[in-house]
Amino acid sequence: MNQKVAEPKVAVNINDDQCSRCSICGSLCPYDAITTDHENKKIILDIEKCQVCGICYSACPAKAIDTIYYSCSSVLKYLEKVRPQYKSDTLVIMCKGSAPDFSEVGRLFGVKDFIPLSVPCVGRISEEVLLGVLVAGVKKINILACDEDYCRFHRGSPLTGRRTIALNRMLEQLGYGEEAITLKRNSLKVTVDKDLCIACGNCVYYCPYDAPTLTSAGGISFDLDACRGCGLCVALCPAFALDLENWERARISDLIPHLLAEMKPPKILVFRCQWAVYPPLNGDMSPNIGTIDLPCAGRVEALHVLEALQNGADGVMVVACSEDDCKQEKVSARAEHVVTRIKEKLDQIGLGERINFSAVSPRYQGQVEEAVRQFRQSLEGAGAEKGAAK
Amino acid sequence: MIVTTLKPLDEILESISPYRKILIAGCDGCTQPPRGLREAKTLKQLLELAGQLKGKKFDFKVTSVVKQCDSVLTTSALKPYVEDVEAVLSLACGAGPQTVAEFFPDLPVIPAQNSHFIGIDDREGSIMYDSCTACGDCILALTGGICPVTRCSKGLLSGACGGASNGKCELDSERDCAWELIYERLKRLGKLDLIRELAPPKDYSAKGWRVTP
Repeated sequence: MNQKVAEPKVAVNINDDQCSRCSICGSLCPYDAITTDHENKKIILDIEKCQVCGICYSACPAKAIDTIYYSCSSVLKYLEKVRPQYKSDTLVIMCKGSAPDFSEVGRLFGVKDFIPLSVPCVGRISEEVLLGVLVAGVKKINILACDEDYCRFHRGSPLTGRRTIALNRMLEQLGYGEEAITLKRNSLKVTVDKDLCIACGNCVYYCPYDAPTLTSAGGISFDLDACRGCGLCVALCPAFALDLENWERARISDLIPHLLAEMKPPKILVFRCQWAVYPPLNGDMSPNIGTIDLPCAGRVEALHVLEALQNGADGVMVVACSEDDCKQEKVSARAEHVVTRIKEKLDQIGLGERINFSAVSPRYQGQVEEAVRQFRQSLEGAGAEKGAAK
Repeated sequence: MIVTTLKPLDEILESISPYRKILIAGCDGCTQPPRGLREAKTLKQLLELAGQLKGKKFDFKVTSVVKQCDSVLTTSALKPYVEDVEAVLSLACGAGPQTVAEFFPDLPVIPAQNSHFIGIDDREGSIMYDSCTACGDCILALTGGICPVTRCSKGLLSGACGGASNGKCELDSERDCAWELIYERLKRLGKLDLIRELAPPKDYSAKGWRVTP
């Protein structure tokens, strides 16, 4: 047995030969994953602590850090390729966390046509990319970041703010006008239909941030500054009185039959936390897989899982961060509970094996692909068994 | 609250099998989470899926009532829906289906829930505990807010039986001895003298089968 198991490829790497030991990466890392080994004069990355925000990558002055997601060259190459599809010289770079809906984003910046670039945290976009697209002929860059206090990676949005100011000053000297790059911030929150609220207090119990309070008048009121937009209360509200901006219940419901109609069997619909999976910029190509990105797995509703099955999905997956990696307050554990509960019911009618919950992280390449592959295999195994029984 | 659990789906499917047009009526009342509109819609989808597998087609309508045990609220809320349905599937506790049965005498009503007890909900682990027997003669003032009628396996009124070990009941090692809990609580409150007040035999006729509030 000489077979060697290949080490999984990690998402972020510090290239020691190129590293100048400046330790800027360590000072910016929101998770203390990068430390300096003074004895051996080395900068060390603890990949298990890394949440793959890409901030160190974008900030390294020596370009000594590699990442497998949205590197400068891959972003520039992608934009060059897709640019002819858009009749516009305006690029909008947005954080997935605050901008799932491109048309809403356009409205925010007052532009109708634009080249969209959606990434998990804009903090990973370096000066090199921003200048690179201007060199490539883009006239205007708009960046939509999350409100600073709501940045899932804590430092991505503030860093982008500083980066924008510094770049604009330089670009002004080059004759680009006062604001070649415009930065806006946005956070998506819960919405309440007080007419539908039955004052049961479910949201009060489940909210990890104490955003809702039951008032003595028998209604609910939300402190929107406290709401971090995980969507857990929305997914659990017994009366459909709550919704989440840009991830509205109806919007997700509309998406499900459309996606499934375009897929080929075995059809697997994947609800995925956008912090657990970093999809390639040119989308997911498998004809068997449909994906719906969510702000957190906590937004998954049992109803949407059932709608997927009703509309012909052979399998439904919920892909989340592990409890420790959850960018919200342990909401992914709640999401797993939601999936377990609906699976118990589906078990009773013989459909339990068609739903799966998987915790993955982008820190190792291919984790989600492997989870999907295993689920697909189990689906096909179950299908074959049934076929044989007939 | 009233603690209920959803019946096995097979049982529900069997009960509704003679009908096609069915109203699923949720209840926003006592249970946590309420078996309201979301539960009603989820049940609709589950039954439709199960029906698809068995080649049976249902035509469901879905609504929810603020309190299904309230005859006025239930009658007015369900009236617009019952015109062309053949049966009502109720998500309320046992009082709900009976309210529907009484005020819609021509309509079959099917319970979707099993009702267990008046309970306390430990939401974190989703374990519910029976806490009130509705005996009609509350003695919680004497027992530190812990009900021996319900929580003591033997329903003893005047102190522990002596069979408990390590604070657990001799009949069920997972169950706390109610009287040990009462003792600890009264001690904490500095009201141990209350435990000496021998409770007279309970007047179970006070429970009654009807009351005028």
